[in-house]
Amino acid sequence: MLGACNAVGPLGSPAHVSVLRNWNPGRRVVRPSPPLRTPLEQSCNARWEPFPREEEELLRPPVAGAAQVSRGRAEAPSEGGYLRPHLPPHHPGLEADTFIPGSTRPPRLMGTGPRVLGALPAAHPRHSGPTCSREDTAGPWLQHYAPAPGGPATPQSLLTGPAGARSSAHSPPTPRKGGCAGQWAAQRRGGGRGPGGFGELTGGESDREGPSSAASRGTCCLYRLTCRRCCQRSLPAGTADLSPSRGPWPTGCRSRLTFEEAIAGGDAATHCSPGGPSGDHKGSARKRHLADHDSRDRALPPTPRVKRLRLEVVKKLNFRPEQTEEPPPPDSPAGDITPPPSPEVPTELWDKGPLDTGADVSPLQASPAARNPVLRRPPVLEDYVTVTSTGGCRGFLVLRNDPVGTGVQDPFLNVWWRGHGQLDLLGVSFASLKEQVDSERRRRLLEEASQLSDTLRSLRSEEVGEEGRTSGAPEEELADGQGDSQPCLWVDEFAPRCYTELLSDDFTNRCLLKWLKLWDPVVFGRERPARRPRPGPELARAGKEATASSKWKSHEQVLEDMLEAELDPSRRPRQKVALLCGPPGLGKTTLAHVIARQAGYCVVELNASDDRSPEAFRTCIEAATQMESVLGAGGKPNCLVVDEIDGAPMAAINVLLSVLDRKGPQEAESGGPAVPTGGGRRRAEGGLLKRPIICICNDQFVPSLRQLRQQALLLHFPPTLSSRLVQRLQEISLRRGMQADPGALAALCEKTDNDIRACINTLQFLHRRGRRQLSVRDVQTTHVGLKDQRKGLFSVWQEVFQLPRAQRQRWGQNPALPPYTLLLGDGHAGLGPRAAEAPLTTASQRFYHILHVAASAGEREKVVQGLFDNFLRLRLRDSSLGAVCAALDWLALDDLLSRAAHHSQNFQLLRYLPFLPAAFHLLFASSHIPRITFPSSQQEAQNRTSRTQALVQMLVSGLTPATRSRAAPQVLILDALCLLLDILAPKLRPVSTQLYSTREKQQLASLVGIMLAYSLTYRQERMSDGHYVYRLEPNVEEVCRFPELPTRKPLTYQAKQLIAHEIEMEKMRRAEALACAEDSPQAEGAAQAGAGEKGTQPPTAHSHEEQRLERILKKAALEEQPERDFFGRVVIKRAPALNAGDVAPDADATERRIGTAVGRSDVWFRFKEGVSNAVRRNLYIRDLL
Amino acid sequence: MVQIIISSAGAGGLAEWVLMELQGEIEARYSTGLAGNLLGDLHYTTEGIPVLIVGHHILYGKIIHLEKPFAVLVKHTSGEQDCDELGCKTGTQYLVTALIKNKILFKTRPKPIITNVPKKV
Repeated sequence: MLGACNAVGPLGSPAHVSVLRNWNPGRRVVRPSPPLRTPLEQSCNARWEPFPREEEELLRPPVAGAAQVSRGRAEAPSEGGYLRPHLPPHHPGLEADTFIPGSTRPPRLMGTGPRVLGALPAAHPRHSGPTCSREDTAGPWLQHYAPAPGGPATPQSLLTGPAGARSSAHSPPTPRKGGCAGQWAAQRRGGGRGPGGFGELTGGESDREGPSSAASRGTCCLYRLTCRRCCQRSLPAGTADLSPSRGPWPTGCRSRLTFEEAIAGGDAATHCSPGGPSGDHKGSARKRHLADHDSRDRALPPTPRVKRLRLEVVKKLNFRPEQTEEPPPPDSPAGDITPPPSPEVPTELWDKGPLDTGADVSPLQASPAARNPVLRRPPVLEDYVTVTSTGGCRGFLVLRNDPVGTGVQDPFLNVWWRGHGQLDLLGVSFASLKEQVDSERRRRLLEEASQLSDTLRSLRSEEVGEEGRTSGAPEEELADGQGDSQPCLWVDEFAPRCYTELLSDDFTNRCLLKWLKLWDPVVFGRERPARRPRPGPELARAGKEATASSKWKSHEQVLEDMLEAELDPSRRPRQKVALLCGPPGLGKTTLAHVIARQAGYCVVELNASDDRSPEAFRTCIEAATQMESVLGAGGKPNCLVVDEIDGAPMAAINVLLSVLDRKGPQEAESGGPAVPTGGGRRRAEGGLLKRPIICICNDQFVPSLRQLRQQALLLHFPPTLSSRLVQRLQEISLRRGMQADPGALAALCEKTDNDIRACINTLQFLHRRGRRQLSVRDVQTTHVGLKDQRKGLFSVWQEVFQLPRAQRQRWGQNPALPPYTLLLGDGHAGLGPRAAEAPLTTASQRFYHILHVAASAGEREKVVQGLFDNFLRLRLRDSSLGAVCAALDWLALDDLLSRAAHHSQNFQLLRYLPFLPAAFHLLFASSHIPRITFPSSQQEAQNRTSRTQALVQMLVSGLTPATRSRAAPQVLILDALCLLLDILAPKLRPVSTQLYSTREKQQLASLVGIMLAYSLTYRQERMSDGHYVYRLEPNVEEVCRFPELPTRKPLTYQAKQLIAHEIEMEKMRRAEALACAEDSPQAEGAAQAGAGEKGTQPPTAHSHEEQRLERILKKAALEEQPERDFFGRVVIKRAPALNAGDVAPDADATERRIGTAVGRSDVWFRFKEGVSNAVRRNLYIRDLL
Repeated sequence: MVQIIISSAGAGGLAEWVLMELQGEIEARYSTGLAGNLLGDLHYTTEGIPVLIVGHHILYGKIIHLEKPFAVLVKHTSGEQDCDELGCKTGTQYLVTALIKNKILFKTRPKPIITNVPKKV
């Protein structure tokens, strides 16, 4: 409407209405059709407030754009204000979803991020300054009527602070006016942007700007314009609450109405027919009566400028029947207006558009109902919104699709548009209201904040007060010296913020960054080749360096190759996870964070302090890799950093591995494009890892990491260059006002082994203690920077046995410490002048160093064992072996101490133990590289001892009691066994025992007797080569023979066999004799008894038989026990007996008939099935003789 | 070495016994043993198949000719008058009293003989 006004202006005739149309962004407003240009330009020339370029570019994708036509209802005679038809229908379509938050693609936004941010400040003042007053015009009723500010809240709206008003601009400004309502309805459907509304708005816009700029920015208008504007337009017309003179555009408003006039006009417009003079207003309100020649003729004041009037205006929705916009019967829905839903059919759209507006030409005659979306009854076929006027009338707004799909507008762009359609519906401008609210809110926030800080301060002041009272000076010094310094660690404060600040090895950094960039295709959707030319100078340089040095850096070459390798089918890097490993304090975590941030990720860290049970781990991984934080992170994708993964339980790492191993759907897709399997596929897609994971560990050789290492991009952290570290430390100390000479800092670096964190912490500590100057002395004497670093056993031994290389002065100069410090062991205790006078000597340095190493080496036992095992292999310098003796004394002392400590729990003795390595160092250290073997002697000795003891035990347990009484184990081992072995090896002729002489037989017998007495024997064993060997068992030879000594001539196999056989025989004989001795008394007794009865042997034999018979009889008698009943009483078979007596003769008769053989015989036969059990009896030959 | 003197009483008049082999056991009703009890009845069918009736069992067997015949020896210990001439130190001699050339083998499952069948059935 505004546009219309303006357009009219130059032409000198009342502009009727500016119609809003879609037009193609590619052709800006002006270009579309040359013939139309004039009117359009005219319509556009009036005022166009420049819109920030960035915004425009930012928000409008180059291709996509909703085409809009501003059709000034310029009085251009020919067109009647219709530019629309000439506009090329092609409009690739700024699809509505382009700016719908849901579909907004974060990467794009991210990419343009800086520009967005840059644009914001520019946009803000404009909107909040002059335009805010306009905003309120829209605001009030927008707020009143907008059911929900809902849908179109775009990311931009979120970004820009005062989003409320703007986003509400998109919410349905339930129109006061039918026309507006119609617009809105249309817009609502399509996402809030209606063609009509746009057209008008665009008209307005173009009015304000020069034609060319209008053309060029037409697209912007598109986005900016909201239905609200049309509503404003229409509202003024309809309700005539517009003030004719709108401040900003005095020239543009040709025909202005006073407020009263406007009201009147509005009423007229609503009430009267198009023929009426105020019908023009209505036309403007509905924006569709354009291009009518009749209306064109009319002097048209209708686009009333909204004046900043503080008026209480009650807007009414007037649904009077005679109204032009009388709701049509519901059965005649505005189907024909309903624009084509898809923006892909612009021709139709364009055809429809004009139709739409063309219909407006004769709104009532043609199809008023179709045009009018405000119905009195709810429409049958369409969606609708219920609207109630203040007067109690209820109307129904038809919801229509937005054909252009431009419904969602960027609120940001709307900002300054809002100002134009000012409509003061409230007494106070909405802006001022809003400002009040804002200021109120701000004030409250401030209050809260100040309160909070007050309480904090009071709390802290209490603490500080106490501390100050107790600790005194340093605190105060701190307070005045560095009052500005925050109580945060310097490590955090000076942590690298960007890539270039990283201290760690450049190559490692690059590799990680490259690897992270490999994720771009899948995370950000950027293509790799497109990205390649773009990489920063660092990367390019890195590549060059790498190729240059590739000849001899094989590992790095391998890494480069890995990074250059093709992506896998799912466009992810081959290695799904990067594993950073290295000792602490090298900046691994920092590197991961910095690089992930640099690459545009939001870092999600998971470290040892988190719960790392498998379930929690899985949850966390899935949350980090499949979700995205909506708040705060600005829609950045996540990058999971798993810190200290080497401490994670195996199960958790397995979870990680399973996540890595998940197969994405790409395999399935490669198989067949359409894989409709619902659930499984969805799950698979969800499971595919699409975010980078960076794992950090100190020890890459932890067993649980074994599998992960194979799949990961392994980046080993080399130690930080001490030059870089020194430089950084210098910067830090400079920034903190601490004077530190590079030598001292280098010493510090060396002391901490280039541990960045330790260095900085030490610096801060010293600084905090009030030191403003850092000297080498401080560095040496402080123990802050020393952490428990564990060294390997071998390195400990090596350090003990090897003199440190003739190095440059270890810490700057070579101070010498007086011996008493050596004795006292705490040279650092006195930081005062005494310590300064007594610098450390080299020897004492070494002493302390070894002491420290020994104390920090964990496995003390092993350390001592290694020293013990190795010290004799060193080159000993003194021929008197004094050092060895001393060392052995030390070892003995060590044993005594540890024994005492552990036996009596007197653990304070343990503090003396580390001195053993120091003593060894002083005794044995040489510049030769010692060949150190792992100590095994103790283990071996222990094994042997236990084995020997077991053997002796066995031997002793087998001794005959007579022997055992004189052979305690100790005695046996020391005295008996050695000689016994000699005794056991007599010379035996290798002939048959039959041929032995009696002496030899005696010898053999005594040998066998001895062996039996000691329970020794020879046992045959099969050797691995198949031979058989007789061994002594138990093998006491092991016990009492030194393996190094030459073995005695062993007995031959045959001799041993013979002896073993004899032993067996002898054992049997003895056992038999024993058994005979046991039997003999019985036999004698029996013999006597027999003799007593009959006197001869045969009778005894007979008596044996008798005995057997008796036994059998007894058994039979047992079987014939009397039958008993249940109660144990003997059942007396009286009746049966009687019966038997009766029946007996009968039975006997039958028996007789059959024959006694059958049934009654005394003998019967039992068949034995299956086996031929022939009767066998043992027959002795003596029975035959 | 052990010398066992075996002599036959008369060359022509040797009795021929028959060995009877049963698959099973012969049991006595009482614990007095088998001695002196009648085992059963041995019959021959017309086909010459031996049939043995023991208790309430009937067994069918067959006659088998032994490849190696047995001789039945009777031991005569010394102290008797007839061993003098044989000059045996031990005084023990054996006299062949019978030869066994055939045996009757009963190896099939015996069949029961039911004597008092209930008349009602």
